[in-house]
Amino acid sequence: MRTGKNYQLSAEVDNLKKRLKESSPEEKEAVSKQLKAKKAELRKAENRYLWAEINRHKYIYLLLFIPVVYYFIFKYIPLWNAQIAFRNFVSLKRTGITGGQWIGLANFKEFVQSYYFWPLIRNTLMYSFGKLLVSLPLSILLAIAIYECTHKALRKVVQTLSYLPHFLSWVIMYGVLLALLSPSEGILNDIIKLFGGTPKGFLTNSTAFPFIVILSDAWKEIGWSAIIFIAALMGIDGSLFEAAIVEGANSWQRVRYITLPSIKSVIVIVLLMKIGTILDAGFNQLYMLQNDAVLGIGDIIDTWVYRGTIQGKFSLATAAGIFKGIIGMTLLYISNWASRKFTESSLF
Amino acid sequence: MKKTIIVLLVALIACTFAFAQGATEAPAAASNEPMTITMLYAATATEVGPIPADWEGYAIIREKLGINLVLQQLPSASADQDLVVQTMAAADELPDFITVPSKKVYDDLVAKGFFADVTDDFAKMPERSKVMFGAGSKAYTTYNGRQYGFATPSSYVGNEGLLIRKDWLDKLGLAVPTTLDELYDVMYAFTYNDPDGNGKDDTYGYGAFVESYMNYEAYPGRRFEPLMGAFGVEGTFNMSADNFGLKVKDPAYYDFMVFMKKCLDAGVIDPNWQAYKKDDFRAAWKQGKFGIFREQNSAYANTNNYKPFDDNFPEGGFIVVDAPIGPNGKQSVGPAVEGFRIFAINADCSPEKHAKIVEMFEWMSYGEGYMLCGYGIEGKTYVLNEKGWPVPSAELGDYSYDKSIGQTYVQLRNSSFNYVDPVETNLRYPGYITATSQKYMSAGEVLIEMQSKTWTPAAGMNFLPSPSTDVETFYRQGIAEFLNGTKELTEANWKAWVDQLYALGADKWEKDAYEYAKNGNFLQ
Repeated sequence: MRTGKNYQLSAEVDNLKKRLKESSPEEKEAVSKQLKAKKAELRKAENRYLWAEINRHKYIYLLLFIPVVYYFIFKYIPLWNAQIAFRNFVSLKRTGITGGQWIGLANFKEFVQSYYFWPLIRNTLMYSFGKLLVSLPLSILLAIAIYECTHKALRKVVQTLSYLPHFLSWVIMYGVLLALLSPSEGILNDIIKLFGGTPKGFLTNSTAFPFIVILSDAWKEIGWSAIIFIAALMGIDGSLFEAAIVEGANSWQRVRYITLPSIKSVIVIVLLMKIGTILDAGFNQLYMLQNDAVLGIGDIIDTWVYRGTIQGKFSLATAAGIFKGIIGMTLLYISNWASRKFTESSLF
Repeated sequence: MKKTIIVLLVALIACTFAFAQGATEAPAAASNEPMTITMLYAATATEVGPIPADWEGYAIIREKLGINLVLQQLPSASADQDLVVQTMAAADELPDFITVPSKKVYDDLVAKGFFADVTDDFAKMPERSKVMFGAGSKAYTTYNGRQYGFATPSSYVGNEGLLIRKDWLDKLGLAVPTTLDELYDVMYAFTYNDPDGNGKDDTYGYGAFVESYMNYEAYPGRRFEPLMGAFGVEGTFNMSADNFGLKVKDPAYYDFMVFMKKCLDAGVIDPNWQAYKKDDFRAAWKQGKFGIFREQNSAYANTNNYKPFDDNFPEGGFIVVDAPIGPNGKQSVGPAVEGFRIFAINADCSPEKHAKIVEMFEWMSYGEGYMLCGYGIEGKTYVLNEKGWPVPSAELGDYSYDKSIGQTYVQLRNSSFNYVDPVETNLRYPGYITATSQKYMSAGEVLIEMQSKTWTPAAGMNFLPSPSTDVETFYRQGIAEFLNGTKELTEANWKAWVDQLYALGADKWEKDAYEYAKNGNFLQ
């Protein structure tokens, strides 16, 4: 918060600090007093400036208020409540958050020692990374394609059509997938039959199932995910493209040397944020699509936890949630560090 | 600035505690005002919406009983119902009077102290006790020798049956199958001999979806019980005192698996059976996708349920047949268990409120309360016939209790119907002439026919405990993988899988179930 006056005061504080270091023992007390007074003056000036700035942008701050309240209620209060993972929680009145018997890491042990712990981790990571590897590049490609499209009407139609599936619930999507993939009357199997092939039960086939999960997620979400990249593309200085065209750059070269480098930081941020929630593999989707025939490959941490929650094991469910959070946070820090080191872009 | 931040932080932390500890309860109403009672109910017809705000019952209950009734409806899916009640309990937001969706939830919440002891309340409900609270009912809710819920009948015993397309049998010149081999031949013919005559290869012999209850109709579940019955492995447990245990370890279970695999490999079972949800399955038989399946009497024959099939196939029709006889003479449609719906009173209710709930519950079971909850309002949702029975009427339009709007006014039927009174059965399932084919249908008569088939007595099997999440997953996944071919079905592989199931915890499940069955006198 440096204004002209603040800069002056700040410089004076720096000078006094310097003088204090260099001053003789006799002078030190007087200089120290001066420094203290100047620091107080600087602090007051900075506060005045801060409040003036807040006042000037009060409507922007007002907009910030709603997400802050949201995060406070739904993200920070649960941090306090998360201690039930270490307790025998029954209910808010019977044991309260803090009244349940302390059982340490028993719930974590139950989760980690589950027969299905490693398959659950494997499946969860497989779907998370699979979706990341497929959906992220596809949404970047879609964003670039929409941005590069010069036919305005076509661009709008494609953009709208690609958003639409995002607004369908997985219940409806399941119906659509069944109509497409059913071995008896699915469109895909009709085509297979047309060419003399044998119909396949894709939704009950453990080899096909992961592909269905990843590709159906991409179909549903790439349009929505592309919005942030389209927004980033809109911010690129148009004169760069004009100059490139004058220099004879073709479309591919413009994408490679202007578009992609310009949105690199946004790509890195989106990637890092997705890595932070890497163990959220898509509960709604997997819960709807999975069936007993593909449980071995379709069960993820969240669906396992859901079955536990139905049995009233809220402490166990919370332990699994904390486990996911710790893994996600660790991966986020590692990725952020790596990104800063190798690409000079990072979240923090 | 620092001070401001500190003040804000302190305020936030204070708020955190306030939110975390929950709100305090509102003070009780003055004694001369109606007592507010909140009730969580399971709708009788989930597809038509909740009880309307203008339901006359609110005013009648306020006037007659001094109760301001506030109703909350449970979701329709059973897993969602369990989750809602568990979440309400964890938040201490359970209503005063609760329809408990499953035995599993009941056992858990009783052990945690959420439900009030109602052992002494049965004596205060003489009318309801006459028709609903037998020894089986009380055994269902007994915990450490006391009852913490009222278990009322939730369905007619033996209300499902094996149905076969009679028109397909006739067209292909096939006799009604009685043995498993004959049934297989019919399934094969239905699949490959174009029974609907449309010239397309678009039909299957047998249709199903996965509907399983681990403690008594484990995976692959209820819809395959008639096939399992042919091998004597219907139901999850063998309930005999000498040989109690999971049927999956019976060598005959392997024979059933071999038969199932043969059917699946031959393509005579609709391959969507693992992907279908209940509604998909029901839509499929109404579209003529398969010709043999197990279905519930009302889901098959009630007016609204039969109509789509009748519209699609006016010349078509089904017959109820007995389960096929297996290679060793075994035969069963499935385990016959008495189904119960549990109603519990919140342990936090005051003694006055507790007594009021008991009074209301008794009132709902006879006379005016029974008529209100079961049939609605005379002249609005029903008319009285010459026998004085409340019957639906075309003159009432959509408000008639058998029509979509009228059904919303009788959503509390589950709280009043007793499933034993023949008049009630008759009214619940009235005979009618179908709109398109003009033939006579009666879900009531279908029920009687279904009940007359071969069932396996299995009293108390549905009371037994369920396995842990890991054992359940291993059980379901393993059988599915054998049937799908992911695991090769050989005797050695099957034995190894059963051994692993027991090593994982099925032995504990079996022991717990045995203790429960022994203490409840359910061993045969």
